[in-house]
Amino acid sequence: MTTGSGGRVDDPAPAVPVAEAPPIVSEAAPAAAGPFKVRRGTPLKGASGLGWLFSAPAFTGLLVFVAIPIVLTAWVSLRDWSGLVSPFATEYVGFENYNELLFEDGVRRTDLAISIRNNFYYVLFVVPMQTAIAFVLAVILNNKFLKGKGFFRTSYYFPSITSSIAVTLIFLFLFQTSGAINAILPGESINWFDNANGLFHNALGVIGIEDPPVWMIENGFMGVTYWQWIAGPSVAMFAIILLVTWTSIGTFMLIFLAGLQSIPESVEEAAKVDGASTFQTFWHVTIPLMKPTIFFVVTIGLIATWQVFDQIYATNFGGPQKTTLTPAFLTYFQSFTNSEAALGAAIAMLLLLVIMFSTFLQRRFIKSTGER
Amino acid sequence: MRRRTFTVLVLLMALIAACGDGGGADTTTAGGTETTTGDTGAATTAGGAATTMAPEEGGSLEGVELSLWGWSSSDAENAALNDLVAQFSEETGAVATFQPQAEYDVALQAALTSGDPPDVFYVDSLRLPDLADAGALAPVPDGAVSNPDDIFPSLREAFTYDGTWYCPPKDFSTLGLIYDPDVLEAAGVAVPTTWEELATAAETLTTGDAAAIAAGTAQAGLSMGVEYARWGAFMFQNGAAITNEDNTAMTLDTPEAREALEFVAGLYQDGFAVKPAAVDAGWAGEAFGQGKAAMVVEGNWLPPAMAADFPDRNFAVAELPAGPVGPGTFAFTVCYGVAADAANPEASWALVDSLTNEEGSLAWTEAFTVMPARESAAAEWTSTHPDLEAFVAGADYAHRWGFVPGFGDVLGVLNPGLEGVVDGNMTLDQVIADTTAAGEGVLEG
Repeated sequence: MTTGSGGRVDDPAPAVPVAEAPPIVSEAAPAAAGPFKVRRGTPLKGASGLGWLFSAPAFTGLLVFVAIPIVLTAWVSLRDWSGLVSPFATEYVGFENYNELLFEDGVRRTDLAISIRNNFYYVLFVVPMQTAIAFVLAVILNNKFLKGKGFFRTSYYFPSITSSIAVTLIFLFLFQTSGAINAILPGESINWFDNANGLFHNALGVIGIEDPPVWMIENGFMGVTYWQWIAGPSVAMFAIILLVTWTSIGTFMLIFLAGLQSIPESVEEAAKVDGASTFQTFWHVTIPLMKPTIFFVVTIGLIATWQVFDQIYATNFGGPQKTTLTPAFLTYFQSFTNSEAALGAAIAMLLLLVIMFSTFLQRRFIKSTGER
Repeated sequence: MRRRTFTVLVLLMALIAACGDGGGADTTTAGGTETTTGDTGAATTAGGAATTMAPEEGGSLEGVELSLWGWSSSDAENAALNDLVAQFSEETGAVATFQPQAEYDVALQAALTSGDPPDVFYVDSLRLPDLADAGALAPVPDGAVSNPDDIFPSLREAFTYDGTWYCPPKDFSTLGLIYDPDVLEAAGVAVPTTWEELATAAETLTTGDAAAIAAGTAQAGLSMGVEYARWGAFMFQNGAAITNEDNTAMTLDTPEAREALEFVAGLYQDGFAVKPAAVDAGWAGEAFGQGKAAMVVEGNWLPPAMAADFPDRNFAVAELPAGPVGPGTFAFTVCYGVAADAANPEASWALVDSLTNEEGSLAWTEAFTVMPARESAAAEWTSTHPDLEAFVAGADYAHRWGFVPGFGDVLGVLNPGLEGVVDGNMTLDQVIADTTAAGEGVLEG
């Protein structure tokens, strides 16, 4: 099957995408060839203008609230701006802010490296977990013999429509020293949100590796030792990972459910007639047909997880010991607390690059798995 | 015909949508100023004064509009400040309004950046260097503040940057030792006045480990946030500080500083002091209120918090125990700054003076637990707050809470490092080395 059309695949029959394609092309081609031809005498007269009119409000919104701010952020990141005066009255410093963040030994580079490490582990856990769980829930809910679908759908979706701050506060109580989670789990009671120990370090400790090899503490990258790079998410960050996974699966489950319901029953029945088992049908028919939806969910998930802020702000402001510091929160800290708004803008631009790069990798990965 | 109706409809919808967008943009950028002016103006100033009029006549304040921005501490404080501002308006004929902001730093930053700042606004001593350095604040003109020598020198110092005095303090708070007199008496512990006594008292009063304390079945001797804003007081008591007096060099890597940090860290490591988060409290005051700690190191903001959340909790205030070198504490203070771009500087300074002169500062602090920044008002304040006298005593030896622009980065290394020492995953040597390196970078730059 061809990928890249971006449209929802409604029918797996190869004839359909081809049949769908012509109208799209015929609409786009004249506009691309030259608007004058369309305007004079064709049946499409005025359609292009009307199209612009329809999209004008959304387009204006995108321009004013997205495009212009991005350009301004990039511009401001090249200046020496504290954020306390007009940015137009500031000095151009070239790539000084980026240089400080990426190449100069110091707090700012270390902070950025730590925040990227934290956020990387956060993404690494949250995206697969939320995608997999949401998919499984959607498949279960899509079962036509299931009773009380409405009830389950509503309850799974509920966390997603609850205020993230309210949910975070509930989790703070659940995971505190005297909280419910500690009461259920055996062992020593700890306040999860106040524990800076890395999960991977803890795991290494369990198998007997307490002391890191010397080269891992003496050497490092961007001011953070290799031993710190492989720390994994801290216990506090892991609590946030659980929290976010729990709140976000509802939305993604709904998207998956919509995707599953657009797969015609006849396809799965055809597979059954051909002798495929339930698992084979799922693996070889359902999942390939769901690929556009999976791509969408993973992309949205990646972008959102690299920008995590609310939960960080509401728990510990990046603590304990900076183990929940993220680039988005660092941007806020530098811009509004430390009066280094240009530096904050530079961090935001770097975060944009990280997001673009990870989305690009993910596209490549999903494409390559499709060409098996 | 039908087609035309449709087009008109579409046009109308587009217009409505576009207006919706525009309206949204207006409220986000200007809403902070415009809408609040209307609201508070109507609520505080007398009906007649609220009508707008153009400023006239250079000398008179008649009709001059002034905005005062701050954050909101409590409804009672907002009401008291509103009264003082209304009184100023009545006496001078100006139309001044107090407009508390929700996300203060962000709101103020947006106002300064857009070139339309409020005339007068709160400035925290920690924030002053940033604002002064950016040129956002007007220095105090000669004679604008009445009897400046009456203001506690340490507080004037807190708002002096590069030799220029920028604003008179609104009030101040110091750190003290807050304890439960009943618990101390029952345990036969005297109020500690030295480090040794503090350590012994904390040990005697501790009845269990963090898990038991969190569960409410035991009590810690001492609860205190793990941060320089608390631990620094102990460094002062040993003749040390993070930087030298004029913030030009790091002085953390000294035997005195190390000794002080080791003493405090030892209290946690021995289990006699707990950080609030370890016992499920948001801050030390909450731990104290819940009975999880017998002693805490907090400031003038604690009594109102107790009254609001734990009205039955009994407490008393003592000066912080003195260290080997002497007493030491922090003074936390906020001033009324006047914007460098204030539309009417004269009127703005008149408002600031009316709020901070002897009469104004006493009127403001009388009903509250924060202290007047003027020595002449201190005695009268103490007579109405005899139980909080220890906080006033701290004013004599308090150190200011303010450094240089960008110092947030340094505290951002020190505080998490101290947490690491308490949690046992960092050494004090490492923290001192890291912080000193970070600080040297900032102080040089």
